[in-house]
Amino acid sequence: MVTLVRIGNWLGAMAVAGVLLAAFGLQFAQHELPSPLGMLQRVAFVLCGLGFLLNLRFGSQPAHYGVTVLGALFGLVAAGRQVLLHIVPGDKGYGSPLGGLHLYTWTVGFFAATLLGVAVLLLLSPREVERREGRHALPMGRLSRLAVWLLILVTLANAVATFALCGPVDCPDNPTGYWLLRRL
Amino acid sequence: MTALIFLLVAIAMMSALGGRRGLSIGVFGLSLILSVAWLVHHMTDALPLSF
Repeated sequence: MVTLVRIGNWLGAMAVAGVLLAAFGLQFAQHELPSPLGMLQRVAFVLCGLGFLLNLRFGSQPAHYGVTVLGALFGLVAAGRQVLLHIVPGDKGYGSPLGGLHLYTWTVGFFAATLLGVAVLLLLSPREVERREGRHALPMGRLSRLAVWLLILVTLANAVATFALCGPVDCPDNPTGYWLLRRL
Repeated sequence: MTALIFLLVAIAMMSALGGRRGLSIGVFGLSLILSVAWLVHHMTDALPLSF
């Protein structure tokens, strides 16, 4: 059961990294610049990823699932807010739809699925007395290291891309170009 | 500001990788507080809803 929970956390970490890489693909290949709310949804993704990463590093613990749940709830609020902004009939929404839905609508589904996944992982998690792990770091296999480093790199890449888009303080509601490029 | 939040989460991740669990969760808490504050800052437009 411990192995199953570890696989679940690895899948969660890889899914978060995959979604963020796909968002990068849309941003740079199709020039789909994210809105401030869209960027906060990306923040929620990396917060969820941090919870999965903690479970991979220190073993499955309720506090780590708490990190993922708080990240997913924050993401649901940010994405839900954007859905409600464009819910009126006739509103074309922000950005191009993907598979018939806008990215923020997909995001609502992703965070709901994350909460469901965490609930399943919590049900499968070993009881306190059976748990070998504690507050000490565990040795990680090659695949776990891959997921952890992928998450760290994609988070750092988001920091750089967001700074390039918005600069040090605030971002426009509908960004049309990169703040940094205008200053070069 | 959003870039700073990403940077903080990256620091939390690297702290976890380095075995510093408490620091990682502490930086997560700070990131979450800043994220909520920044979300409230961006929630300025009235929603076109009527119940």
